[in-house]
Parts: sequence; structure tokens; C-alpha cells
Amino acid sequence: MPESAESLYIQQLVELLAVVSSSPDEATAVQNAVERSAQALEAEVAAAVIDGKVVASIGFPPGAVPHDEIVAMTLERRSILYVPGLGDCPVVTASWAGSHPGHLVLARWGAPFQVEEQNLVRGMARVLELTLTMLRTLVAEHAIRESLQERQRLLEHLSAIQRAISHREDLQHILDTITHGARDLVGDEIGLLWVLDEPDSGRARLAAAAGTRPVDPADRPVIDLTAASPAGEAMVTDGVAVRHGEELQSRMLRLLGPTTVHASMAAPVHDSGVLTGALVVASCDRDRRYTTADEQTLSAFAENVSLALTDANTLVRMRQAHHDPLTGLASRGLFLEQLSKQLAIADADGRSLAVLFLDLDRFKDINDSLGHAAGDELLTLTADRITAQLRAGDTASRFGGDEFAVMLSRVDGPTDAAAVARRIVHALAEPMRVSDHWLRVGVSVGVALRGTAGDEPAELVARADLAMYEAKHRGTGGYAIYREPSRATGRE
Amino acid sequence: MRILGEEVHNRRWLGVGRSAVTDSRVAAADAVSAARTGPDPKLLIVFAAITHDTEAVLAGVAQAAPGVPVIGCTTHGEIGVGGPADGTVTVAALGGAGLEIVIHAAEHVSGRQAEAGYEVAACMREVTQPHRVLMLLTDGLVRDQESIVRGCYRALGAGTPLFGGAAADGWRMSRAYLFKDGRVLTDAVIGVAIASEAPIAVGVGHGWRTVGQPMIVTRAADGRVLTLDDRPALDVYLERLDAPPEAYTDPSEFTAFALPRPIGVQRRSGVEARNLSTEVDLESRTIGGGGAIDPGGLTWVMTGDEESILDSVDRVCRDTLGRLEGNEPIGMLTFSCAALRAVLGDDGIRRECDRLQRWAGTMPFAGFYTYGEIARNHGIDGFHNQTLAVLALS
Repeated sequence: MPESAESLYIQQLVELLAVVSSSPDEATAVQNAVERSAQALEAEVAAAVIDGKVVASIGFPPGAVPHDEIVAMTLERRSILYVPGLGDCPVVTASWAGSHPGHLVLARWGAPFQVEEQNLVRGMARVLELTLTMLRTLVAEHAIRESLQERQRLLEHLSAIQRAISHREDLQHILDTITHGARDLVGDEIGLLWVLDEPDSGRARLAAAAGTRPVDPADRPVIDLTAASPAGEAMVTDGVAVRHGEELQSRMLRLLGPTTVHASMAAPVHDSGVLTGALVVASCDRDRRYTTADEQTLSAFAENVSLALTDANTLVRMRQAHHDPLTGLASRGLFLEQLSKQLAIADADGRSLAVLFLDLDRFKDINDSLGHAAGDELLTLTADRITAQLRAGDTASRFGGDEFAVMLSRVDGPTDAAAVARRIVHALAEPMRVSDHWLRVGVSVGVALRGTAGDEPAELVARADLAMYEAKHRGTGGYAIYREPSRATGRE
Repeated sequence: MRILGEEVHNRRWLGVGRSAVTDSRVAAADAVSAARTGPDPKLLIVFAAITHDTEAVLAGVAQAAPGVPVIGCTTHGEIGVGGPADGTVTVAALGGAGLEIVIHAAEHVSGRQAEAGYEVAACMREVTQPHRVLMLLTDGLVRDQESIVRGCYRALGAGTPLFGGAAADGWRMSRAYLFKDGRVLTDAVIGVAIASEAPIAVGVGHGWRTVGQPMIVTRAADGRVLTLDDRPALDVYLERLDAPPEAYTDPSEFTAFALPRPIGVQRRSGVEARNLSTEVDLESRTIGGGGAIDPGGLTWVMTGDEESILDSVDRVCRDTLGRLEGNEPIGMLTFSCAALRAVLGDDGIRRECDRLQRWAGTMPFAGFYTYGEIARNHGIDGFHNQTLAVLALS
């Protein structure tokens, strides 16, 4: 996946909303949503089912849409859809509620949908729900302009969140953006975001607040998961909770509100499909009454918050993950960190250090023909063979896909580094037994030695990467050494 | 089994001919004659430099191969055995048994792109052989080419791969032409159902990589990017690339600077390159060109060099030929992006063709430098910029 994949899902929701929001009527909105969701997930088939009928679809020639099979997916009777020309395709479905409930169904050739993708589809269904509700209720009230403005504002707030995530701003900033966004969207004074302490703790902590009395970040308020508060109710029922009237407001809202709170509304928030908190808006206006459209807006927004949290947590998890779960080798982050340390040491005592960049030849072919499980097995065996060639103090890392990097912390010069590269090439040239097949994969190795003092870790890796390409160009199963200014010299 | 394999292979053929003669009629007739290397020709695909007289080209084609169905287009350079060329007529001929060809065309495409795509896709209904592809030739100066491809997908669904390219006019950006039998068309789409008893494969790829932090398309309309990160798109783009001052004020300098530096759009399976060099607006500080970019989209500046682009040639050829399920290829159609010429230069495109030649071996190949490539195996999209798209037949 590309570098900023963590923000891809929310971006796709924003794009979907932008496209669907500009739809003039319901039929166009549904068709646009269907096509855009297929596009976002690179699925071949997408369909919308309303009242047990397929009302829009893409992926089948007109007249050949398998209506019954698609409807069966929404009833969870089946999870595989046969698509002519492709074969059996895994399916994901998501339902939406509102005035005209329905289902979004997607089918894609290849691997099943990931949890994050299932989340995205659910978010898309909510966007559709919101749009349809707005089109029906507000258009019926001759307020088309207002409807468009509402959707435009939702879009702007989602864009702001997306920007915060894609620019890798810190999590608190992202949460604050979300909370302010919710408050501004429904036009209320107060916005709150509660996040569960632990999945089964039965308590949630205030993660962000807007328009409240000052909250001490070091001593954030905690609530119990009971129907005593709208947030608790939303988390317990996994649905929107609405309270009108001063007397029905929770103790916490009375404490946090700048003045008397008269109305509040909460919607559940999920992370990777698991309930994780609640988004609350509240008003100090005595006459405040939440409409169905307000409920839909908060609900859709909370669904997007779910995605944002998933993405942000993914980011945190990625930062925390030091080792590649498949091979057990150092993660890219850890490798670069250690390389940085070793470079500093090498700068201080003037010794040499080398980075080897490895790319397997033919890995994709094997992965494609024998499947991911075989591909994974091959990577594990490869990792073992690489580490077997290293000395104490050297570090091997899986950089992603079929790319590996090795740091030789102490080398006497190019010859020394080349000897290790040669050993690795030979070790990997030996056949490997994977899924009852004897496979032979080659490896292309690029070698880069620490140059002058002050080398950056990424630069050194980039040079090894360049040398690796040089090795690859010369044919599979060899190594090349990076040298300034004309690059590669050694070869095998 | 071996005998059967040879027998099947010998039933179809692809031939390529080329002429650099300036007389358009003679050039076309010569190229067709050279391309016709087997019996029962079913389709002639004509790639003509924009400098040629299009009517005379078609007259020459008809003279050399009367009655054989013809499609084709003008180019920004012709690709073929012997290397890249400018000013030629290059022809690929396809024929033999177990092969069906049906051609449909739609005209007056602007404003109804999706409908036109839907219309031409109807050609697929008239073929019966099991292995199929819809080949498209579009007018590269028609906006929103994605919608043409989407229209085809709506008509055909997931089961039919798509391949094709957008006709070019040698960077004049005034008028590109399509050929269908005896007619020269503009503002048109040609759809060709190619159906065979043996596998047909499509592949596509690019050699670009992203640079720096992403930018968000905060406003976009009508295929143009108005703002990136809430600031005028043109300025943000140029600043990111540390562009020379002239690129900020001179449209031709901007185009020259932007051609080898496309914008990348995030997709699930990777970053797609979009060429934004051709429709610069210095007044409104907006950029536009090779394909729609949606508001809310995450974009990067991209760079590439000869090495990365040539590597992608290898990847695309390997992938495409690999999709033939072990059947021996008879030839390839190779459509490369016109903008790549700006990066590769004349020597670079020669080396690009050398790479293609290396993969082709003794089999023929032909194509052109396009204003947009079309290739779809999976997903619902198939319009690309800055790529190489390959069709391999067996």
C-alpha cells in the first residue's frame, strides 16, 4: 500500500460525498454512489438494494444483472457472488437506515475485503443515507438550496479532518477537528468526543471538547456506559440518542456546559468495526429541537470519525510496530532508527558501515500463481536465509513487499560488504520448498557504503536501492555496489 | 499436443508495416502491403502522423487492401518494429481463423461521452469467440475520456477487458483524427470487438513515483484543479517542484516544465499519474489536462526518469505476456503516452522501443504515442495518463 494509505479511506468518503452531494435527484445520487464506491474499492461490481430490489448497479451488462443473487447478499445468505468472466468474487455489504433503508453491495475479484474496507463501505452507506434523507425531507420542504448547503458544509468539515490526517497532524488535533466539526455542522454550542477506556471497561473518557467550560487535559472526565447520559445511551444501544429539555440532560453535560444545556444528541463511534466511543453535540438554546436531518448529519459524521480514528490508530500502531509480523525482522522504522544510531557511531570512530538493499526476483509471479500463503512462506524462508548470513551487530529488515534491507555495522570496505552480498545471493539461489513446490527465486542486491561523515540513513538506503536496480538490470541473481559518481562496478 | 499447439498458433497472425514516404497515399499502401503477412486479413489498424493527408491515407489503405475493415488514428509519433518514428504511416494487420472483428463508431461525442462509450460497446454483442477485448480509439482532444470508458463498462460489465488509446495530433492540440473504413472522423469514438479462440491479454503500468507530502484537491471543477491545499493549484504545484520563474508566467514554459512532472492521484492499489500540463490558465492560476481529479482527492507531485520508465516497460510486458496463459503470442499493440516523450527524449524513446523489441523477440508490434491510454482488467476504471498500455494476442 502507498505511504499515506492511512488517509485513503477517509479521502474516499469525502470524494463519495462530493460526488453524491452534487446529484440532482435520488436516482442519480444512488447510481453515482454505486459507481463511486466500486471505484474507491476497485471493485468490479456494486449495487444498491432498496425494498428488496436492486435499484442501481454496475458490473453486469444491462439485462444480465443477477437480481436475486444480489438481494441474497443483503440477507446475508451468501458472501460470494459469481461474476461472469471473473468467477467467484468476495462480497461486502452495508445497510443504511433512515426513511428508505437499503443496502450497498460490492463484489471484487481477488482477496476478501479488509476490516478497514468494510468500515469504509459502511461509511459510504451512511453517506448515502444522509444524502437520500436530505433529498427527500428537505427537497419536500422546497429547501433544495438549504439541502445543498448542508451537504457542502459536511463536505468541508470532512475535508478538514482528512487534511489533518493526511498531513499527519497529532491525534489530539485530529480529535479536536472532529469535535469542532460536529458542533459547527449541526450549529450547536457544544461538541464532545468520548472514547472508551478499554473495550470492556464500561467507562468512556472525554477525548476532545469544544464550547465547554475548560477541561484539564491531565484529568479528563469519565462517564459510565449507562443510559444516564446521551453518550452512554448511544454506546449502549449503538444508535443515535436524542434528549430535549433541560431536565433530561445528564449530570456531565450540566457540569461541562457553559450555561444551561437544553438539548443534546449523541451518535456511536467505531474503530475497525468495534464500538469505541460517542460523538455528542449539545445546545444551550431553550428552543433547540433536533430534526431527522440533524440526526442523520451527526450519524454520518460519526461514521466518518470512525474512519478517522481507525486511520489515526493505524498510524500510531504503525509507529509503534517495530517488527514485521510475518518475518520477525526489524520494521523499516526500526531499521532506519538503528541505522541512524550506527551512522553516528561510525562518524565518531571513523569506521565503515554498509547497507544492502535486496529485491527478490520472480516473487510476484510466485505470489500470483501459488497464492498469498505461499508468498508469505517464501518471505519467511528468505528472511531466515538472510539472517543466517549475518554477523552479530548486523540488522536485517523487511522493507515491505519483497524488499529487504540489511545493515552491516562493521565492514572493512567494499570487498567485505560484497562478500556478504555474494553469500546472500548464493543462499537465496538454493531451491526452497514452499507449498509442496521446489521454488528457485533469485535476489538482486544493491550495496552502498557509508561515504563521508553526516550521511543520512535514508540517503544510504536510497543509494543501495539504486545499486540494486543496477544489479537487476544486469540480470537476475546478482549484486552491484554503489559508487560515486559512476555507480555500479562489482558484479556477479 | 505439441502439434495441436502449433496448429492453433498458425491459425492467426499479426503483421506490421511502415512507410516513411511523404506521399500519404503511397505511404499507406506500402505500409498495408508490408503488414499483410498472412491469409484472410480481418482488421487493419492504421497509425498515421498528423502531417499526413488523412483522406489520402485512407485511399492508399483501400487501394492496398480493398474490403478489409480499417480503424486507425493520427498520432504524436508511431511505434513499431524498427523503433519509434515521426511522419510515417505504420500499420498493424490482424487476420486468420478463429478470430472475429466487429467495429462500431459513435460521433458527436463531446457532451455525451458516457453514452457514446455505451453505444460503441454494443459491438461486443456480435462476436461469439470466448476470448474477448473491446479496443477503443478515441479523439484525444475530447474532454472527460474517463466517461467514455465508464460508458463501455456500464454496457459490458466486469467480464470484458478494455484496451485502447486517444488519438493525438503531434502536440498541436488543435484536431486529432480517427479512421473507420473509408471515413475520417473527429469528436468520435471507435469500438472494436476483438474475439478469438485463444487468449488475448491487456496490461498497463507507469514508471512514476511520488515526491514529498501529499496535497489535497480542495476545489476542482470540469476536469480542472482550482485549488490545492486551499491555494491556487498552479502556484502550489510549481512551488512544490521549485520551478523556474518563467513557468509561473509563460504558458509554454509551464507546459514544458509540467509534462515530465505529472500529478499522482491516490487509488487503492497505488498512485495513478495524471498529466496536468496541457490546459494551464495563468489568469485563474488553475491547472488541467489529461483526466478528471475529484475534489477531496489526495495528490502528489510525481517524478520519473528514463530508468524508472524503462523498468515499467519490462513490468507491463512481463505482466501482459504472462496473462496469455502459456499460449504463444502472435504480436502486440503498444500504446505509450505522448507526454513520456518529453521525459525520454528522442534517444530515450528509441531505448523504450528497444525494450519492447526485447520482449517481442521475433513477433511484430505496433502502436503510437497517445493523448491517453485505455486498459482495464479489474475495477471499473481504465483511462490512464503517462502509462504504457499493451495488448497481446495469441
